[in-house]
Amino acid sequence: MKLKIDLFKHALLLMGLVMMGNFAMAQRTITGTVTDAETKEPLIGASVVVDGTTTGAITDFDGKYSLDVPEGATALKFSYTGYTTTTQEIGASNVIDMALSAGAVLEEVVVVGYGTRKAKEVTSAITSVKAEDFNQGNVADPAQLLQGKVAGLSIARPGGDPNQGFNIRLRGLSTIGANTQPLIVIDGVPGASLNSVDPNDIASIDVLKDGSAAAIYGTRGASGVILITTKRGEPGETSVSYNGFVAVESVDRTVPVFSATDYKNFEGSTDLGSETDWFEELTRDAVTQVHNTSLAGGTEKTSYRISFNLRDGQGVALNTDYTFLNGRINLEQRALNDRLKLTMNLASTLRRANFGFSDAFRYATIYNPTAPVFSDNPNDENGGYFQQDLFDYFNPVAILEQNFNEGQQRRIVMNLRADYELIDGLTASVFYALQRENDEVNTYYDKNSFWIGAGRNGLAERRNDERDSELLEITANYNFEVNPELEISVLGAYSYQEFVNNGFSASGGDFVTNAFTFNNFAGASDFANGLGSVNSYKNSNKLVAFFGRVNVNYEDTYYLTASLRREGSTKFGDNNKWGWFYGVSGGVTLSNLFDVQGVDNLKLRVGYGVTGNPPNDSYLSLLRFAPLVDDDGNSIFALFNGGYIPAYGPASNPNPDLQWETKSDISVGLDFSLLDYKLNGALDFYSTTTKDLLLDFPVDASTNLFPTKIVNIGELRNSGLELALDYQAIDKSDFSWAPGIALTYFLETKLITLSDPESGLDFGGFRDIANLGAPGQNQTPLVRVEEDADIGQLWGLVYEGIDEDGEWIFADVNGDGNPGQNDDRQVIGNGLPTFQLGFNNSFTYKNFDFNIFFRGVFGHDLVNTFRAFYEAPSAIVSYNVLESTEDVANLTAGAKFSDLHVENASFVKLDNMTIGYTFDLPENSSFTKIRLYATGQNLLTITNYKGVDPEVRFTDSEGGALAPGIDRRNTWFRTRTIAFGVNLGF
Amino acid sequence: MNSYFKYGKYLLVGLFLTAFNQSCTDLDEELFGDLTPDNFLQTDEEIATALGAAYTNLYGYGGNANIFSLQEVTSDEVVVPTRGNDWDDGGNWRRLHLHTYNSEDDRIRDGWTFGFGGVNACNRLLFQFSEAGITEYDAELRVLRSLFYLFLLDTYGNVPVIDRFDLPDDFVSTNATRKEVYDFIETTILDNIDGLSKEVDATTYGRINFYAAQAILASLYLNAEVYTGEAQWQKCIDACDAIIDSGNFSLAANYYDNFVTENSGSPEFIFAIAYDEVFARGFNLAQMTLHYGSQRTYKLAEQPWNGFCSLQEFYDSYEDDDIRKNNFLVGPQFDSDGSTPIVDDASSDPDGPEIIFTPEINELGPNAYRQAGARIGKFEFAQGSTRHLNNDFPIYRYTEILLNKAEALWRLNNGDGDALALVNSIRDRAGVDDFGALDADNLLAERGREMFAEAKRRTDLIRFGRYNDAWWAKDADPSDHVNIFPVPKEQLDANPALEQNPGY
Repeated sequence: MKLKIDLFKHALLLMGLVMMGNFAMAQRTITGTVTDAETKEPLIGASVVVDGTTTGAITDFDGKYSLDVPEGATALKFSYTGYTTTTQEIGASNVIDMALSAGAVLEEVVVVGYGTRKAKEVTSAITSVKAEDFNQGNVADPAQLLQGKVAGLSIARPGGDPNQGFNIRLRGLSTIGANTQPLIVIDGVPGASLNSVDPNDIASIDVLKDGSAAAIYGTRGASGVILITTKRGEPGETSVSYNGFVAVESVDRTVPVFSATDYKNFEGSTDLGSETDWFEELTRDAVTQVHNTSLAGGTEKTSYRISFNLRDGQGVALNTDYTFLNGRINLEQRALNDRLKLTMNLASTLRRANFGFSDAFRYATIYNPTAPVFSDNPNDENGGYFQQDLFDYFNPVAILEQNFNEGQQRRIVMNLRADYELIDGLTASVFYALQRENDEVNTYYDKNSFWIGAGRNGLAERRNDERDSELLEITANYNFEVNPELEISVLGAYSYQEFVNNGFSASGGDFVTNAFTFNNFAGASDFANGLGSVNSYKNSNKLVAFFGRVNVNYEDTYYLTASLRREGSTKFGDNNKWGWFYGVSGGVTLSNLFDVQGVDNLKLRVGYGVTGNPPNDSYLSLLRFAPLVDDDGNSIFALFNGGYIPAYGPASNPNPDLQWETKSDISVGLDFSLLDYKLNGALDFYSTTTKDLLLDFPVDASTNLFPTKIVNIGELRNSGLELALDYQAIDKSDFSWAPGIALTYFLETKLITLSDPESGLDFGGFRDIANLGAPGQNQTPLVRVEEDADIGQLWGLVYEGIDEDGEWIFADVNGDGNPGQNDDRQVIGNGLPTFQLGFNNSFTYKNFDFNIFFRGVFGHDLVNTFRAFYEAPSAIVSYNVLESTEDVANLTAGAKFSDLHVENASFVKLDNMTIGYTFDLPENSSFTKIRLYATGQNLLTITNYKGVDPEVRFTDSEGGALAPGIDRRNTWFRTRTIAFGVNLGF
Repeated sequence: MNSYFKYGKYLLVGLFLTAFNQSCTDLDEELFGDLTPDNFLQTDEEIATALGAAYTNLYGYGGNANIFSLQEVTSDEVVVPTRGNDWDDGGNWRRLHLHTYNSEDDRIRDGWTFGFGGVNACNRLLFQFSEAGITEYDAELRVLRSLFYLFLLDTYGNVPVIDRFDLPDDFVSTNATRKEVYDFIETTILDNIDGLSKEVDATTYGRINFYAAQAILASLYLNAEVYTGEAQWQKCIDACDAIIDSGNFSLAANYYDNFVTENSGSPEFIFAIAYDEVFARGFNLAQMTLHYGSQRTYKLAEQPWNGFCSLQEFYDSYEDDDIRKNNFLVGPQFDSDGSTPIVDDASSDPDGPEIIFTPEINELGPNAYRQAGARIGKFEFAQGSTRHLNNDFPIYRYTEILLNKAEALWRLNNGDGDALALVNSIRDRAGVDDFGALDADNLLAERGREMFAEAKRRTDLIRFGRYNDAWWAKDADPSDHVNIFPVPKEQLDANPALEQNPGY
């Protein structure tokens, strides 16, 4: 069975080796036999290479090799496709036999949270992505490394705003009122900030997809867990690496509006005499440069890695950019006969950014293309920019050039870990981590900014938010063998984490000069006349948990993992302070039980887990009183004895029963390896049910302080299928091709109920949310939330045409003879996708490497709000309109939302294409690696969507997670990036 | 090396013990920026700030979100036409005007929460004050609660009567009949009116005093027939007389003294919301009614919204020499210099881009002209105003009391001379000729002209049986169930024990 014919594969290598003529340097000849460790059969065509060189040999039909080893060689490296590569030191003997173990992929280390497992032992749905498989190119956010790579993981950032984060969602939607994004754990610190780590410092990312794996994270595990492990030093010579690139980002697509010529030709337009392409005026080719340097090395006792990362990027919009400076030190020290291991990590980040104003894109869309950018009079009250007195209509170039919107993010993470092996197999650990995040946003609206500043005679805003967290964890781990067949490991732990948030903000205007911007509030007369406002806040919360886990491995065939976490949070109400969370999963390696032709490994996994999701805010369970504040953050006063005094009132309806959302999920998976471990894959099915959803729920206004209250209510169901495949299609020494695919099929995302007969709270079957907005389309909800129906139902009138008077004709859906009324609305789309796909192809040819990555998302619709607002011909009098206005050229009525503006947004993108060349280096080179590469990102988008970017909109500014599928008017333009880079090692 | 090993063991054991120590499982919340019932209401100052929170609920009254729109846009004096791309807003403004509103409309939702927000604030304070042994604001809070209940009685009719904060856990509120709500208001006021201050000065301005309570009663009794089926004209007259005979109030020399920016000294104000651009925000009439371009006329901090305006028929109901015809802004509009015309660059209005407010409105929608409609110019718009005006908003004004009394007298005796004299005293100030006699038409019209845009019109139209008439773009209502609004859907959902009003 295990006789492998791998000869062809290595024939070329052998020839190459012979031709290179390394015999000249031969000092001694080593011979031996390479066999399968399990079957003892010889491996034919296995490669034997002198470690650190290209000198090597290939085993023959008997598994034998003979290799002339040059002077100074210390070790031989044995490798064979699908087997674990093993390095053996060269001793005195001239005979080295090697038994290789099959299934390298099965031996890979997977991080599972509070420990690691070998891939073959994993019983939950966990995907591990190593650095070499990350997305390449201009990647500034760690989330981007995984985009499209992991089945079940959706990562989206519509538009090209470099200062906007990615929306991450694992296995669809399992919460509507709590955190929809997975918990991020960086080097063991739960709740860590993604932008505290540079993508270049990440060694691996492990994604805990199901509840049986995430249960160990208790109240925070319900939206999944992403574990990030940073790179560390290895014992051996100090290595220095430098990775750098320069990238150029350009606009790929803008909203299709009339050009000046088309505008002038449209009946009723007003020609202001100029020709301006507002998108052109607003954008530029943005240049980004990135430099990552690291120093790593160590001895047997000490290892270290120090890195410094600089990213300096521009946005395609004028006056937008960022600078990211990050340093990281990872240290490991062993002591006390190697029984004590100390690990220290320290990372510090400063990110400065000019955010710009996304409103500029909206106004660029509607600004008259015959309007000039500047007025005739450079000294006029608008600072020289052309402006008109129209509603919601401002010169977009003026917005970006006159005003400032900048900020800084600072992150410091430090942690210290001591592991002490008390007796063999029993390790006790203490882990302390401190994370400090600081966000600062500063805005200034110019005195002459017609958009916002002029009405306030200059307006400055400053805001500073600080989030501190401290973590103490004490764990004990015991691994033991009951007998050679039965291995057990046990974990017991206590965790204490405290979060303190505080912030300060000020807003005030009426300046004599623009010179201070936001740097001298003494110049703002608003504080004297009462129009300025100042606010501060502080809140805290704590999480305390006791948890444990047992792993059982019986005969390397049967595996069982069970975990339990008892966790409490200060955020929960007095009646529900503590919750139980648990996960159980088991696996059977079927291929060890049955011999199936052509199947190398087949493992069945089944897991069940119960995880939680906490409320976002502290104190919701308490009756609190505070100075009343209006929606704009201004204090509210009341008249008392002729003077105004502050009014104090309740902050919210208290809910002493408040608790976590509870998600339970079943996950069934099949891991398989076929074709001599060349084809590895996993097929997963999951089904989750979330109960006690956190929601700001309307309550009886006649008996409550406020009309809404945060309650736990309802049930949400979600299921899907995932398939991941990696195929080593061709693996020759000078040519390889490895395609990989990650598929996700979302079977169901359904709101079962949002009512609770017990408490009497009733959702009433449905509710319409996510207002379209001004101008003119308030009280136009775009989404219907309905019990016993899919999440993401887009809702509206059905367009039928335009009548002879130029008015809309909508369908009379309810047949009452009165069409186009609110009761004629129906479901007109769904904002959530049904299917997503990542398709990767890695090639190597001689020294070239080539990677091409396609990503597709299918089945989702988008409300194109640009069309819903700016497709009415009557606006042409002075606003520009979309090209698609031609389709409704006879319309005289105003814009009105209907299914006409809902579009299928399925797409396939050529997300990433990289070509690289690695130089052959001479023996005495001072470099260990030189690679040059070029990457193109977002090179091609295939879609029928008429808007700018068909990416899924997972959440909405108005409707949150319940209202996916709305492309609001603040989306940045879609961009395309070309990067040139170098990887150096020395 | 061995000794290290031992110490290590002790160290770890110690750490584990610490971990299970009580303090490490303590989950009490620590507050920094909030008070709790335990440390609130300790000082007189805190008590005053707490009382204030009952009144701040009124600040929504003069905004576009609830009572103002419910009372005005449903009437024949104010409309929000759909002007092309602006003000369609899902048809809700047209539905208000055409009386086709439904239980999901935002204004309907907000009116209910406005009323009960006030009711609950009063109930909570009554409870908290009584727990703290504070009794001096009891009567004031109960009567203020009655005012919120009067709004609810008038708009939604059959609302739950909730008179306490410390409700049992299993309490479920149910509709009371309109009569029960009426009785609750009347009883509460009568029981508490003698506990109220009779001062009319800074200590009671903007707060409930004896006369505010009488004004509430006058309004309650004037509409008693609508609310209960039984008229209470004499009780209305008595309540009005308590105010009139006190001598504390009089007609302002100038009608507009009541509506200027600094109007808080008006001798007519019995109860007003003391709006302020800094301290008490919420009165945004300039935003509601003015054209975008009017920003230049008044140097407003923000662009107005070009929405609310009056109907031509209502505008025409004023004689040309009626001082009160200045309640409207009509004709060409100018920059703040008073001479440079302001323009609407986007206008496709037939009379060109120069902004001229015309009393005529071409249609309710979808393409009402952007400049169409006389604007509500009754309240002064101060130069440089922010979104929040400084003008106080009268809830009860002396003229209303005079007109209430006149009407009640007239209802009892159509030929009552005192009634005619009272109405004519108001017409005198407006500079128009006396009426020779009173009838339903001229009484209603006079109330309209006098109290235009003071959130009274819907109630008056209903009392005079005219709310269901056809006017301008509106057809006659097929049924008078629209005279009270539907209970909002959210409320019915939140409390299935609540019943929808008839006809919805």
